[in-house]
Amino acid sequence: MDDIGSGPMVVACIRITDLRPQIEPLSGTVVREPWSTGLSPADAAALEYSFRIAEAWSGHVVVITAAPSSADAVLRDARALGATVLRIAGGSPSSDQAYVDELGSDERGMAGMIVAALAPLGRPSLVVCGDRSSDRGTGALPAFLAHELGAAQALGLVAITTTDQESMVVAERRLDGGWRERLHVPCPAVCSVEGAGVRLRRASLTATLAAQRTEIPQVTAAGGPGTTRGADPVGPAEVVVGPVRPFRPRTRAVPAPDSDDPRLRLLTLTGALVAHDPPTVVGPIDAAGAADALLAFLIRHGYLDTEPVGEEAATEVEW
Amino acid sequence: MDKGDMVPTPGVSSDTPGFDAVVVGAGPAGSAAALALARAGRSVVLVERGPFPGSKNVYGGVVYGRVLDEVVPEWWNEVPVERWVVRRSTMMMTGSQSVSVDYRSAAWGEVPYNGMTTLRSRFDNWLATKAVEAGAQLVTSTVATGLLRDAHGRIVGVRTDRDRGELRANVVVACDGVNSFLAKEAGLMPPAEASHHTLGVKEVLDLPGHVIDERFGLRRSEGVDIEMLGCTRGIPGGGFLYTNSDTVSLGVVLSLPHLAEAKVRPEELIADLKNHPSVAPYLRGATLREYAAHLIPEGGYDTMPTMVTDGMLVAGDAAAMTLAAGLWLEGVNFAIGSGLAAGRAVDRAIAAGDCSAKGLASYRSDLEGQFVLADHKRFRKAPALVLSERIQQRYPGLICDLVDGMFTVTNPVPKPGGVRLTRSVAAKHGVKLRQLAADTVRALKVFG
Repeated sequence: MDDIGSGPMVVACIRITDLRPQIEPLSGTVVREPWSTGLSPADAAALEYSFRIAEAWSGHVVVITAAPSSADAVLRDARALGATVLRIAGGSPSSDQAYVDELGSDERGMAGMIVAALAPLGRPSLVVCGDRSSDRGTGALPAFLAHELGAAQALGLVAITTTDQESMVVAERRLDGGWRERLHVPCPAVCSVEGAGVRLRRASLTATLAAQRTEIPQVTAAGGPGTTRGADPVGPAEVVVGPVRPFRPRTRAVPAPDSDDPRLRLLTLTGALVAHDPPTVVGPIDAAGAADALLAFLIRHGYLDTEPVGEEAATEVEW
Repeated sequence: MDKGDMVPTPGVSSDTPGFDAVVVGAGPAGSAAALALARAGRSVVLVERGPFPGSKNVYGGVVYGRVLDEVVPEWWNEVPVERWVVRRSTMMMTGSQSVSVDYRSAAWGEVPYNGMTTLRSRFDNWLATKAVEAGAQLVTSTVATGLLRDAHGRIVGVRTDRDRGELRANVVVACDGVNSFLAKEAGLMPPAEASHHTLGVKEVLDLPGHVIDERFGLRRSEGVDIEMLGCTRGIPGGGFLYTNSDTVSLGVVLSLPHLAEAKVRPEELIADLKNHPSVAPYLRGATLREYAAHLIPEGGYDTMPTMVTDGMLVAGDAAAMTLAAGLWLEGVNFAIGSGLAAGRAVDRAIAAGDCSAKGLASYRSDLEGQFVLADHKRFRKAPALVLSERIQQRYPGLICDLVDGMFTVTNPVPKPGGVRLTRSVAAKHGVKLRQLAADTVRALKVFG
């Protein structure tokens, strides 16, 4: 096992699997190739967020996965980036395929195995996972992990940022209509992230070469649900949803048409015979100019009450 | 390249990793070179830009494995083969006719085998794994962006797109494919000439294995290789069909300038081929799995780049080592052969303490002494003959009509005599008998 760094421990719990599996069209059998294993975009995002948060906290990253030895190349890449890596191997080395098939079948048991494997390294401050794996993953593992660890959970995130306190991260999650909600997540916590918005950093060539010469530490699958739960007896702290609320379009009062003739009332309501603004070409302009043009249009047509001013107003519109 | 271009690379620190050799490109040539070097006890790094060897390679053909005999004993027990080719068919076609010369050998389906169909993502990875097992270091997802030079302009390594990404080495082996940027930067490769290249496009079509067996007359591990002429709307080139385990590779290879002139999309030609009455029954019910395209260096011996310079040599497609000689269409075996020769030459040069062009010159002589350059030299006139106007546009139709005239029963009209039939069919296709004779003599000279 590698020497574990000091500071808070951020765990990237990733699934390494064949990114280009072949599906037998008749039987539906998934045929995996060991050489095309890799990280899904969500798992790559989880790894990148782990590094960002560990840097901000002056902590260290532990990358853990349950996979056969074909995952070692990916783990070496993670090691080249400075992480401590750990692979949970199957009990029988002769049945890698069976082990991979088995991995997705019992996510609660998997969470128990992961927590058991992490126990000797200490209690993680934050565990980051992909929101779903590309190999039959249901996205349930992070929730089971949170349960096993007795940690808070915030799932399906698009961003995680640190705060002044090491006991808290701020996360964003998509909402309908292009809006997002902001979550204040107390640590220890388990977060899962979407594969969007960040790109996994690349290791230097020297570190990549050095990592290739190292063995990947592994532990044998053990544990199970509840076997190693180190939960706080009072339970995890609650995630606090920020002041931003989901987008709800405001109703707009339309005055009643002033006519006894139903046809005229209908024309008034629909504006069928009223001249409309012709299409206006406002581009090409830069992003800020385009935003101003859109806001001016919304204000002109009554969708916004007042003209936003400065950065504060822009934030208000965004959120 | 001007001497003035050969300036020392600024900022090349002395602590950059140093190796005996850096091999760029983990295709068959690169992996073979790395394997030879690693087995010779040399430190070697194999740099691959894809996420794994074979991830970006396109190949629709047969791999002839004899060259692997010196790489892996009894390689046939472990190579990721799709099918062993036991049938080799050459088909002359028009839009509605075809004449096939079909050869089948039971011996080709037995040890030590002749040729195999394989999928490059599996085959390349298998070969790269052999190199890694022998001690080479494989670095994937890394692009070699340029050459490092010392104060004398000598190549001393490569620069990659990674942070601290300089790799110093005694020798750089450029196996970076048909459009080798390293060979160009080193001044080894002349400006690209479209007429020396073809565009290969192929579809991989899903078809159950037992259906392939039934339709092509095969047993489970047996495969067929069909080469086609006259299926490209007059664009110089040809078509191919190979059987894999549960898929069929079908495609066309097209002369690049003629394709551009014809303003035809290559996928239209594949669609033509799939609908041809001699091909369509094979593919009924097949579904498209992949589509791919790739440039092929088919210029042959006379278009090969300079292969060696101080601190660097080129192999595989980068050295235009694809044999496109009509009856023979081979590439991977030449890539592996050249890679192995490159590895041996680098080993000798390092042992002699001379990695200059002179010290590496044994690479060329080694290639000349074996099939890699001997075959290319022997068939150096073949590309021009095979892609000539009469071979491409007149003879397929002529042969089909000749056979049609022989076997169409025209009772009560008596059968035509052979000479009269040949004269009339040749005249129909605008071929004079003396041209036919001249081309026959020319073919005998080229292939004799």
